[in-house]
Amino acid sequence: MGIITVLWEKWAEFKRDFYKITVAAMISPLMYLLVFGLGIQTTSHGEPYLNFLIPGIVAMVSMTGSFSAVSQNMSVQRLYEKALDQVMVSPTPLWQFIVGQIVGGALRGMYAVLVILLLVSPIRTSLVFNWVSFLILFLNGTVFSTIAVTLSFLAKSYTDAPRFNTYIIMPMSFLCNTFFSTDQMPHGIKEFVSALPLSQTSDMVRSIAAGGDPTVTGVLILFAYLIVFSAISFMFIYKKKNL
Amino acid sequence: MIEIHNLTKTFGDFTAVDHLNLTIETNEFMGLLGPNGAGKTTTISMMSTVLLPTEGEILIDGKPLNRKASAEKRKLSVVTQEYSMRQDMTMNEVMEYQGRLYYMRKKEIRAKTAELFEFAGLSKFGHRVVRHLSGGMKRKLMICRALMVEPEILLLDEPTAGMDALARRQMWDLLRSLKERNLTILLTTHFIDEAQALCNRVAFIDGGKFDVVDAPLALIEQLGPFAVDNLDDGKLVSRYFPTREAAIEELKGLPDDAVLRATTLEDVFVERVGHRLTRG
Repeated sequence: MGIITVLWEKWAEFKRDFYKITVAAMISPLMYLLVFGLGIQTTSHGEPYLNFLIPGIVAMVSMTGSFSAVSQNMSVQRLYEKALDQVMVSPTPLWQFIVGQIVGGALRGMYAVLVILLLVSPIRTSLVFNWVSFLILFLNGTVFSTIAVTLSFLAKSYTDAPRFNTYIIMPMSFLCNTFFSTDQMPHGIKEFVSALPLSQTSDMVRSIAAGGDPTVTGVLILFAYLIVFSAISFMFIYKKKNL
Repeated sequence: MIEIHNLTKTFGDFTAVDHLNLTIETNEFMGLLGPNGAGKTTTISMMSTVLLPTEGEILIDGKPLNRKASAEKRKLSVVTQEYSMRQDMTMNEVMEYQGRLYYMRKKEIRAKTAELFEFAGLSKFGHRVVRHLSGGMKRKLMICRALMVEPEILLLDEPTAGMDALARRQMWDLLRSLKERNLTILLTTHFIDEAQALCNRVAFIDGGKFDVVDAPLALIEQLGPFAVDNLDDGKLVSRYFPTREAAIEELKGLPDDAVLRATTLEDVFVERVGHRLTRG
Protein backbone atom coordinates (compact mmCIF):
# COMPACT_ATOMS: atom_id res chain seq x y z
CA MET A 1 0.00 0.00 0.00
CA GLY A 2 2.79 2.44 0.97
CA ILE A 3 4.65 1.45 -2.19
CA ILE A 4 1.63 2.45 -4.28
CA THR A 5 1.47 5.79 -2.41
CA VAL A 6 5.08 6.59 -3.31
CA LEU A 7 4.46 5.50 -6.91
CA TRP A 8 1.41 7.79 -6.99
CA GLU A 9 3.60 10.67 -5.75
CA LYS A 10 6.20 9.88 -8.44
CA TRP A 11 3.45 9.67 -11.07
CA ALA A 12 2.07 13.08 -10.00
CA GLU A 13 5.58 14.50 -10.32
CA PHE A 14 6.06 12.83 -13.71
CA LYS A 15 2.79 14.26 -15.07
CA ARG A 16 3.65 17.72 -13.76
CA ASP A 17 7.20 17.77 -15.15
CA PHE A 18 6.61 15.56 -18.20
CA TYR A 19 8.33 17.84 -20.73
CA LYS A 20 11.28 18.69 -18.49
CA ILE A 21 11.83 15.01 -17.62
CA THR A 22 11.57 13.91 -21.25
CA VAL A 23 13.93 16.57 -22.58
CA ALA A 24 16.43 15.93 -19.77
CA ALA A 25 16.36 12.21 -20.58
CA MET A 26 17.12 12.91 -24.24
CA ILE A 27 19.79 15.62 -24.31
CA SER A 28 23.05 14.00 -23.16
CA PRO A 29 22.48 10.50 -24.67
CA LEU A 30 21.53 12.15 -27.93
CA MET A 31 24.73 14.21 -27.87
CA TYR A 32 26.80 11.08 -27.25
CA LEU A 33 25.08 9.28 -30.10
CA LEU A 34 25.59 12.18 -32.48
CA VAL A 35 29.23 12.87 -31.57
CA PHE A 36 30.58 9.37 -30.98
CA GLY A 37 28.22 7.33 -33.10
CA LEU A 38 27.37 9.41 -36.13
CA GLY A 39 30.02 12.17 -36.06
CA ILE A 40 33.08 9.97 -35.51
CA GLN A 41 32.06 6.96 -37.59
CA THR A 42 34.28 4.02 -36.88
CA THR A 43 34.21 0.31 -36.22
CA SER A 44 34.66 -1.75 -33.07
CA HIS A 45 35.45 -5.47 -33.02
CA GLY A 46 34.87 -5.49 -36.79
CA GLU A 47 31.34 -4.08 -36.48
CA PRO A 48 29.92 -0.55 -36.83
CA TYR A 49 30.69 1.35 -33.63
CA LEU A 50 26.97 2.17 -33.24
CA ASN A 51 26.34 -1.53 -32.53
CA PHE A 52 28.66 -1.17 -29.54
CA LEU A 53 27.57 2.31 -28.53
CA ILE A 54 23.76 2.04 -28.54
CA PRO A 55 23.47 -0.77 -25.93
CA GLY A 56 26.03 1.07 -23.78
CA ILE A 57 24.08 4.32 -23.96
CA VAL A 58 20.80 2.53 -23.22
CA ALA A 59 22.37 0.96 -20.11
CA MET A 60 23.82 4.32 -19.09
CA VAL A 61 20.45 6.03 -19.49
CA SER A 62 18.77 3.46 -17.21
CA MET A 63 21.40 4.41 -14.61
CA THR A 64 21.19 8.20 -14.95
CA GLY A 65 17.39 8.24 -15.25
CA SER A 66 16.89 6.16 -12.11
CA PHE A 67 19.58 7.86 -10.07
CA SER A 68 18.53 11.42 -10.83
CA ALA A 69 14.82 10.63 -10.27
CA VAL A 70 15.60 9.68 -6.67
CA SER A 71 18.74 11.50 -5.50
CA GLN A 72 17.74 15.11 -6.13
CA ASN A 73 14.17 14.51 -5.06
CA MET A 74 14.99 12.70 -1.80
CA SER A 75 17.72 15.15 -0.80
CA VAL A 76 15.45 18.15 -1.35
CA GLN A 77 12.56 16.43 0.48
CA ARG A 78 14.75 15.55 3.45
CA LEU A 79 16.88 18.65 3.81
CA TYR A 80 15.09 21.57 2.17
CA GLU A 81 11.35 20.92 2.00
CA LYS A 82 11.36 18.66 5.10
CA ALA A 83 8.60 16.74 3.33
CA LEU A 84 10.14 13.49 4.57
CA ASP A 85 8.83 14.42 8.05
CA GLN A 86 5.30 13.85 6.70
CA VAL A 87 6.27 10.28 5.81
CA MET A 88 8.22 9.63 9.03
CA VAL A 89 5.27 10.47 11.27
CA SER A 90 2.72 8.57 9.17
CA PRO A 91 1.78 4.93 9.82
CA THR A 92 3.10 3.87 6.40
CA PRO A 93 5.90 1.36 7.09
CA LEU A 94 9.16 3.05 6.20
CA TRP A 95 10.50 0.02 4.30
CA GLN A 96 7.55 0.46 1.91
CA PHE A 97 8.56 4.09 1.38
CA ILE A 98 12.10 2.97 0.46
CA VAL A 99 10.86 0.21 -1.86
CA GLY A 100 8.48 2.73 -3.49
CA GLN A 101 11.42 5.07 -4.13
CA ILE A 102 13.48 2.24 -5.62
CA VAL A 103 10.71 0.98 -7.92
CA GLY A 104 9.63 4.51 -8.85
CA GLY A 105 13.22 5.45 -9.69
CA ALA A 106 13.72 2.30 -11.79
CA LEU A 107 10.49 3.04 -13.69
CA ARG A 108 11.73 6.55 -14.46
CA GLY A 109 14.95 4.96 -15.72
CA MET A 110 12.88 2.67 -17.96
CA TYR A 111 11.02 5.67 -19.33
CA ALA A 112 14.37 7.27 -20.26
CA VAL A 113 15.38 3.97 -21.92
CA LEU A 114 12.18 3.93 -24.00
CA VAL A 115 12.76 7.54 -25.08
CA ILE A 116 16.27 6.67 -26.30
CA LEU A 117 15.15 3.49 -28.04
CA LEU A 118 12.52 5.53 -29.83
CA LEU A 119 15.15 8.07 -30.87
CA VAL A 120 17.55 5.44 -32.25
CA SER A 121 14.80 3.43 -33.94
CA PRO A 122 15.36 5.14 -37.35
CA ILE A 123 19.02 4.02 -37.28
CA ARG A 124 19.33 0.71 -39.10
CA THR A 125 21.13 -1.79 -36.89
CA SER A 126 20.81 -5.50 -36.19
CA LEU A 127 20.47 -4.89 -32.44
CA VAL A 128 17.85 -6.81 -30.46
CA PHE A 129 16.13 -5.40 -27.37
CA ASN A 130 13.75 -7.91 -25.81
CA TRP A 131 12.05 -8.50 -22.47
CA VAL A 132 15.26 -9.98 -21.03
CA SER A 133 17.18 -6.79 -21.80
CA PHE A 134 14.35 -4.76 -20.25
CA LEU A 135 14.50 -6.90 -17.11
CA ILE A 136 18.26 -6.36 -16.86
CA LEU A 137 17.81 -2.61 -17.40
CA PHE A 138 15.06 -2.49 -14.76
CA LEU A 139 17.32 -4.34 -12.33
CA ASN A 140 20.09 -1.84 -13.09
CA GLY A 141 17.60 0.97 -12.42
CA THR A 142 16.71 -0.50 -9.01
CA VAL A 143 20.42 -0.72 -8.13
CA PHE A 144 21.03 2.95 -8.92
CA SER A 145 17.79 4.11 -7.26
CA THR A 146 18.91 2.28 -4.12
CA ILE A 147 22.35 3.91 -4.30
CA ALA A 148 20.58 7.27 -4.70
CA VAL A 149 18.41 6.61 -1.61
CA THR A 150 21.49 5.70 0.42
CA LEU A 151 23.40 8.79 -0.71
CA SER A 152 20.43 11.07 -0.05
CA PHE A 153 20.55 9.98 3.62
CA LEU A 154 24.25 10.89 3.70
CA ALA A 155 23.72 14.30 2.08
CA LYS A 156 24.37 17.18 4.45
CA SER A 157 22.95 19.86 2.15
CA TYR A 158 20.78 19.66 -0.94
CA THR A 159 23.71 20.80 -3.06
CA ASP A 160 25.34 17.43 -2.29
CA ALA A 161 23.04 15.68 -4.81
CA PRO A 162 24.74 17.20 -7.89
CA ARG A 163 28.12 16.42 -6.26
CA PHE A 164 27.25 12.74 -5.96
CA ASN A 165 26.37 12.87 -9.63
CA THR A 166 29.82 14.27 -10.43
CA TYR A 167 31.72 11.83 -8.21
CA ILE A 168 29.83 8.64 -9.01
CA ILE A 169 27.54 8.79 -12.02
CA MET A 170 29.72 10.74 -14.45
CA PRO A 171 32.86 8.56 -14.01
CA MET A 172 30.74 5.41 -14.37
CA SER A 173 29.08 6.82 -17.51
CA PHE A 174 32.44 7.14 -19.20
CA LEU A 175 34.33 4.17 -17.81
CA CYS A 176 31.83 1.34 -17.43
CA ASN A 177 31.65 -0.28 -20.84
CA THR A 178 29.60 2.52 -22.40
CA PHE A 179 31.95 4.01 -24.99
CA PHE A 180 34.74 1.43 -24.98
CA SER A 181 35.24 -2.06 -23.65
CA THR A 182 36.72 -2.54 -20.18
CA ASP A 183 38.96 -5.19 -21.83
CA GLN A 184 41.15 -2.32 -23.03
CA MET A 185 41.87 -1.13 -19.49
CA PRO A 186 45.10 -1.83 -17.57
CA HIS A 187 45.17 -4.85 -15.26
CA GLY A 188 43.77 -4.03 -11.82
CA ILE A 189 41.64 -1.10 -13.00
CA LYS A 190 39.93 -3.43 -15.45
CA GLU A 191 38.84 -5.87 -12.71
CA PHE A 192 37.62 -3.03 -10.49
CA VAL A 193 35.62 -1.28 -13.24
CA SER A 194 34.21 -4.61 -14.50
CA ALA A 195 32.75 -5.30 -11.06
CA LEU A 196 30.75 -2.05 -11.12
CA PRO A 197 27.02 -2.45 -11.86
CA LEU A 198 26.94 -0.38 -15.04
CA SER A 199 29.77 -2.41 -16.61
CA GLN A 200 27.81 -5.59 -16.00
CA THR A 201 24.57 -4.11 -17.32
CA SER A 202 26.21 -2.73 -20.48
CA ASP A 203 27.88 -6.06 -21.07
CA MET A 204 24.65 -8.04 -20.68
CA VAL A 205 22.49 -5.64 -22.71
CA ARG A 206 25.14 -5.67 -25.45
CA SER A 207 25.29 -9.46 -25.40
CA ILE A 208 21.47 -9.74 -25.69
CA ALA A 209 21.44 -7.10 -28.44
CA ALA A 210 23.88 -9.26 -30.40
CA GLY A 211 21.65 -12.32 -29.99
CA GLY A 212 23.39 -13.75 -26.88
CA ASP A 213 22.34 -14.24 -23.26
CA PRO A 214 22.96 -12.38 -20.02
CA THR A 215 25.51 -13.91 -17.66
CA VAL A 216 24.56 -15.42 -14.32
CA THR A 217 27.55 -13.64 -12.75
CA GLY A 218 26.31 -10.29 -14.09
CA VAL A 219 22.82 -10.79 -12.67
CA LEU A 220 24.24 -11.93 -9.32
CA ILE A 221 26.50 -8.86 -9.13
CA LEU A 222 23.52 -6.56 -9.74
CA PHE A 223 21.48 -8.37 -7.07
CA ALA A 224 24.42 -8.12 -4.65
CA TYR A 225 24.52 -4.33 -5.10
CA LEU A 226 20.75 -4.13 -4.72
CA ILE A 227 20.75 -6.14 -1.49
CA VAL A 228 23.69 -4.31 0.09
CA PHE A 229 22.43 -0.79 -0.67
CA SER A 230 18.82 -1.68 0.25
CA ALA A 231 20.05 -2.95 3.62
CA ILE A 232 21.98 0.30 4.16
CA SER A 233 18.89 2.36 3.18
CA PHE A 234 16.66 0.42 5.59
CA MET A 235 19.23 0.81 8.34
CA PHE A 236 19.38 4.58 7.75
CA ILE A 237 15.63 5.14 7.76
CA TYR A 238 15.03 3.03 10.86
CA LYS A 239 18.19 3.69 12.87
CA LYS A 240 19.66 7.06 11.83
CA LYS A 241 19.32 9.25 14.93
CA ASN A 242 18.87 12.57 13.13
CA LEU A 243 17.07 12.40 9.79
CA MET B 1 -2.35 9.62 26.81
CA ILE B 2 1.25 10.62 26.14
CA GLU B 3 3.96 9.74 28.64
CA ILE B 4 7.47 11.10 28.31
CA HIS B 5 10.07 9.39 30.48
CA ASN B 6 13.60 10.74 30.92
CA LEU B 7 13.63 12.04 27.35
CA THR B 8 17.10 13.24 26.40
CA LYS B 9 18.65 14.38 23.15
CA THR B 10 22.25 15.37 22.66
CA PHE B 11 24.00 16.66 19.55
CA GLY B 12 27.69 16.07 20.21
CA ASP B 13 28.49 17.89 23.46
CA PHE B 14 25.29 19.94 23.38
CA THR B 15 22.28 18.68 25.33
CA ALA B 16 19.16 20.01 23.62
CA VAL B 17 16.66 18.10 25.77
CA ASP B 18 17.66 16.99 29.23
CA HIS B 19 15.76 14.17 30.99
CA LEU B 20 12.23 15.48 30.41
CA ASN B 21 9.35 13.80 32.22
CA LEU B 22 5.77 14.71 31.36
CA THR B 23 2.34 13.14 31.13
CA ILE B 24 -0.30 14.62 28.85
CA GLU B 25 -3.76 13.31 29.59
CA THR B 26 -6.26 12.37 26.90
CA ASN B 27 -8.15 15.43 25.57
CA GLU B 28 -5.74 17.82 27.29
CA PHE B 29 -4.44 20.95 25.51
CA MET B 30 -0.87 21.26 26.73
CA GLY B 31 1.46 24.17 25.98
CA LEU B 32 5.22 23.95 25.85
CA LEU B 33 6.70 27.41 26.37
CA GLY B 34 10.27 28.47 26.16
CA PRO B 35 12.72 30.88 24.57
CA ASN B 36 14.41 30.11 21.25
CA GLY B 37 16.73 27.13 21.56
CA ALA B 38 14.99 25.86 24.70
CA GLY B 39 14.39 22.38 23.23
CA LYS B 40 10.73 22.70 22.14
CA THR B 41 11.19 21.71 18.50
CA THR B 42 13.65 18.94 19.40
CA THR B 43 11.00 17.49 21.73
CA ILE B 44 8.35 17.61 18.99
CA SER B 45 10.80 16.11 16.48
CA MET B 46 11.38 13.16 18.82
CA MET B 47 7.63 12.77 19.24
CA SER B 48 7.26 12.63 15.47
CA THR B 49 10.20 10.13 15.28
CA VAL B 50 12.19 12.36 12.90
CA LEU B 51 14.80 12.45 15.66
CA LEU B 52 15.51 9.43 17.84
CA PRO B 53 16.13 10.08 21.56
CA THR B 54 19.62 9.63 22.97
CA GLU B 55 17.97 8.35 26.14
CA GLY B 56 14.45 7.83 27.48
CA GLU B 57 11.21 6.95 25.78
CA ILE B 58 7.82 8.22 24.68
CA LEU B 59 4.72 6.12 25.30
CA ILE B 60 1.43 6.54 23.48
CA ASP B 61 -1.39 4.91 25.45
CA GLY B 62 1.25 2.84 27.23
CA LYS B 63 3.04 1.61 24.10
CA PRO B 64 6.51 2.79 22.99
CA LEU B 65 6.60 5.21 20.09
CA ASN B 66 9.33 4.48 17.55
CA ARG B 67 9.74 4.43 13.77
CA LYS B 68 8.28 0.94 13.48
CA ALA B 69 5.24 1.65 15.70
CA SER B 70 2.66 2.11 12.92
CA ALA B 71 -0.36 1.69 15.25
CA GLU B 72 0.89 4.43 17.59
CA LYS B 73 1.88 6.70 14.70
CA ARG B 74 -1.63 6.28 13.30
CA LYS B 75 -2.92 8.23 16.31
CA LEU B 76 -0.49 11.12 15.77
CA SER B 77 -0.45 14.08 13.47
CA VAL B 78 2.07 16.92 13.40
CA VAL B 79 2.12 20.52 12.30
CA THR B 80 5.81 21.34 12.10
CA GLN B 81 7.37 24.76 12.52
CA GLU B 82 8.72 24.69 8.97
CA TYR B 83 6.46 24.21 5.97
CA SER B 84 7.25 20.52 5.72
CA MET B 85 5.60 19.60 2.45
CA ARG B 86 6.34 19.25 -1.25
CA GLN B 87 6.51 22.78 -2.61
CA ASP B 88 5.70 21.65 -6.16
CA MET B 89 2.42 19.92 -5.25
CA THR B 90 -0.98 21.55 -5.38
CA MET B 91 -2.96 21.86 -2.15
CA ASN B 92 -5.23 19.02 -3.30
CA GLU B 93 -2.20 16.82 -3.98
CA VAL B 94 -0.74 17.56 -0.53
CA MET B 95 -4.02 16.39 1.01
CA GLU B 96 -4.24 13.32 -1.21
CA TYR B 97 -0.65 12.32 -0.38
CA GLN B 98 -1.43 12.63 3.34
CA GLY B 99 -4.62 10.60 2.98
CA ARG B 100 -2.81 7.87 1.08
CA LEU B 101 -0.02 7.72 3.69
CA TYR B 102 -2.77 7.00 6.25
CA TYR B 103 -4.53 4.40 4.03
CA MET B 104 -7.62 6.49 3.38
CA ARG B 105 -9.87 5.75 0.39
CA LYS B 106 -9.90 8.22 -2.48
CA LYS B 107 -13.56 9.10 -1.95
CA GLU B 108 -12.94 9.70 1.74
CA ILE B 109 -9.89 11.86 0.93
CA ARG B 110 -11.94 14.05 -1.43
CA ALA B 111 -14.79 14.49 1.06
CA LYS B 112 -12.47 15.26 3.96
CA THR B 113 -10.41 17.69 1.88
CA ALA B 114 -13.53 19.61 0.85
CA GLU B 115 -14.75 19.73 4.47
CA LEU B 116 -11.41 20.91 5.89
CA PHE B 117 -10.78 23.48 3.16
CA GLU B 118 -14.24 24.88 3.87
CA PHE B 119 -13.43 24.95 7.61
CA ALA B 120 -10.14 26.79 6.98
CA GLY B 121 -11.41 29.08 4.21
CA LEU B 122 -9.21 27.48 1.55
CA SER B 123 -11.92 26.05 -0.72
CA LYS B 124 -11.06 28.26 -3.69
CA PHE B 125 -7.37 27.39 -3.71
CA GLY B 126 -7.26 23.60 -4.07
CA HIS B 127 -5.41 23.74 -7.40
CA ARG B 128 -2.89 26.32 -6.27
CA VAL B 129 0.72 25.12 -5.99
CA VAL B 130 2.15 25.27 -2.44
CA ARG B 131 5.13 27.37 -3.58
CA HIS B 132 2.72 30.17 -4.54
CA LEU B 133 0.83 30.31 -1.23
CA SER B 134 1.25 32.97 1.45
CA GLY B 135 2.75 31.94 4.81
CA GLY B 136 -0.66 32.06 6.49
CA MET B 137 -2.23 29.83 3.84
CA LYS B 138 0.60 27.33 4.13
CA ARG B 139 0.04 27.17 7.91
CA LYS B 140 -3.69 26.60 7.40
CA LEU B 141 -2.93 23.91 4.83
CA MET B 142 -0.65 22.20 7.33
CA ILE B 143 -3.41 22.22 9.94
CA CYS B 144 -5.87 20.81 7.37
CA ARG B 145 -3.34 18.14 6.41
CA ALA B 146 -2.85 17.20 10.06
CA LEU B 147 -6.62 17.00 10.69
CA MET B 148 -7.25 15.07 7.48
CA VAL B 149 -6.43 11.79 9.19
CA GLU B 150 -8.61 12.42 12.28
CA PRO B 151 -5.76 12.06 14.76
CA GLU B 152 -6.21 11.44 18.47
CA ILE B 153 -3.07 13.43 19.24
CA LEU B 154 -2.04 16.63 17.52
CA LEU B 155 1.46 18.08 17.87
CA LEU B 156 1.64 21.77 16.93
CA ASP B 157 5.10 23.28 16.68
CA GLU B 158 4.85 27.08 16.59
CA PRO B 159 1.73 27.05 14.39
CA THR B 160 1.49 30.85 14.33
CA ALA B 161 5.17 31.60 13.68
CA GLY B 162 5.60 34.30 11.05
CA MET B 163 1.90 35.26 11.03
CA ASP B 164 0.59 38.81 11.34
CA ALA B 165 -1.72 39.71 14.25
CA LEU B 166 -4.94 39.15 12.29
CA ALA B 167 -3.86 35.80 10.88
CA ARG B 168 -2.77 34.75 14.38
CA ARG B 169 -6.23 35.54 15.78
CA GLN B 170 -7.83 33.53 12.96
CA MET B 171 -5.50 30.65 13.75
CA TRP B 172 -6.46 30.87 17.44
CA ASP B 173 -10.13 30.53 16.48
CA LEU B 174 -9.21 27.49 14.44
CA LEU B 175 -7.19 25.99 17.30
CA ARG B 176 -10.01 26.72 19.77
CA SER B 177 -12.39 24.80 17.56
CA LEU B 178 -9.96 21.86 17.71
CA LYS B 179 -10.41 21.80 21.47
CA GLU B 180 -14.03 20.96 20.86
CA ARG B 181 -13.01 17.92 18.80
CA ASN B 182 -11.64 16.25 21.96
CA LEU B 183 -8.11 15.98 20.68
CA THR B 184 -5.04 15.66 22.85
CA ILE B 185 -2.92 18.60 21.79
CA LEU B 186 0.67 19.60 22.49
CA LEU B 187 1.41 23.16 21.39
CA THR B 188 4.85 24.70 21.39
CA THR B 189 4.98 28.47 21.15
CA HIS B 190 6.90 31.46 22.29
CA PHE B 191 3.75 33.59 22.15
CA ILE B 192 2.79 33.37 25.81
CA ASP B 193 -0.63 34.98 25.26
CA GLU B 194 -1.38 32.19 22.80
CA ALA B 195 -0.70 29.53 25.43
CA GLN B 196 -2.72 31.42 28.06
CA ALA B 197 -5.68 31.70 25.69
CA LEU B 198 -5.66 28.09 24.54
CA CYS B 199 -3.98 25.67 26.94
CA ASN B 200 -5.31 23.72 29.94
CA ARG B 201 -1.77 23.34 31.26
CA VAL B 202 1.60 24.76 30.30
CA ALA B 203 5.17 23.63 30.81
CA PHE B 204 8.04 26.09 30.79
CA ILE B 205 11.10 24.63 29.15
CA ASP B 206 14.52 26.21 29.29
CA GLY B 207 17.92 24.73 28.50
CA GLY B 208 16.21 21.45 27.64
CA LYS B 209 14.70 21.10 31.13
CA PHE B 210 11.20 21.71 32.48
CA ASP B 211 10.97 24.57 34.91
CA VAL B 212 7.34 24.21 35.94
CA VAL B 213 4.20 22.44 34.74
CA ASP B 214 0.78 23.71 35.79
CA ALA B 215 -2.46 25.37 34.63
CA PRO B 216 -1.98 29.00 33.47
CA LEU B 217 -4.38 30.37 36.11
CA ALA B 218 -2.69 28.38 38.88
CA LEU B 219 0.69 29.79 37.85
CA ILE B 220 -0.71 33.31 37.81
CA GLU B 221 -2.32 32.72 41.20
CA GLN B 222 1.01 31.54 42.63
CA LEU B 223 2.80 34.69 41.42
CA GLY B 224 -0.05 36.98 42.45
CA PRO B 225 -2.99 37.87 40.20
CA PHE B 226 -2.46 41.66 40.52
CA ALA B 227 0.57 43.44 39.15
CA VAL B 228 1.88 46.95 39.68
CA ASP B 229 4.27 48.36 37.08
CA ASN B 230 6.42 51.44 37.39
CA LEU B 231 9.53 52.81 35.78
CA ASP B 232 12.66 52.92 37.89
CA ASP B 233 15.64 54.62 36.17
CA GLY B 234 13.96 53.98 32.83
CA LYS B 235 13.60 50.28 33.57
CA LEU B 236 10.19 48.64 33.97
CA VAL B 237 9.74 47.09 37.39
CA SER B 238 6.76 44.82 38.13
CA ARG B 239 5.57 43.67 41.52
CA TYR B 240 2.88 41.05 42.14
CA PHE B 241 0.23 40.89 44.84
CA PRO B 242 -2.28 38.29 46.02
CA THR B 243 -5.11 40.83 46.40
CA ARG B 244 -6.28 44.01 44.68
CA GLU B 245 -6.16 45.83 48.03
CA ALA B 246 -2.49 44.98 48.54
CA ALA B 247 -1.70 46.16 45.01
CA ILE B 248 -3.59 49.45 45.54
CA GLU B 249 -1.73 49.97 48.80
CA GLU B 250 1.59 49.57 46.93
CA LEU B 251 0.40 51.93 44.20
CA LYS B 252 -0.22 54.73 46.69
CA GLY B 253 3.48 55.03 47.48
CA LEU B 254 4.57 55.10 43.83
CA PRO B 255 4.83 57.93 41.25
CA ASP B 256 1.84 58.78 39.03
CA ASP B 257 3.08 56.74 36.06
CA ALA B 258 2.70 53.49 38.04
CA VAL B 259 -0.17 51.24 36.87
CA LEU B 260 -2.22 48.43 38.31
CA ARG B 261 -3.12 45.54 36.00
CA ALA B 262 -3.95 41.83 35.95
CA THR B 263 -0.97 39.48 36.02
CA THR B 264 -0.51 37.46 32.84
CA LEU B 265 1.19 34.19 32.03
CA GLU B 266 3.88 36.25 30.37
CA ASP B 267 4.69 37.76 33.77
CA VAL B 268 5.06 34.27 35.20
CA PHE B 269 7.29 33.30 32.28
CA VAL B 270 9.44 36.42 32.64
CA GLU B 271 9.76 35.91 36.38
CA ARG B 272 10.68 32.24 36.15
CA VAL B 273 12.54 31.90 32.86
CA GLY B 274 13.33 35.47 31.80
CA HIS B 275 15.13 36.47 34.99
CA ARG B 276 17.33 33.43 34.70
CA LEU B 277 18.09 34.27 31.08
CA THR B 278 18.95 37.87 31.97
CA ARG B 279 21.28 36.65 34.68
CA GLY B 280 22.80 34.33 32.07
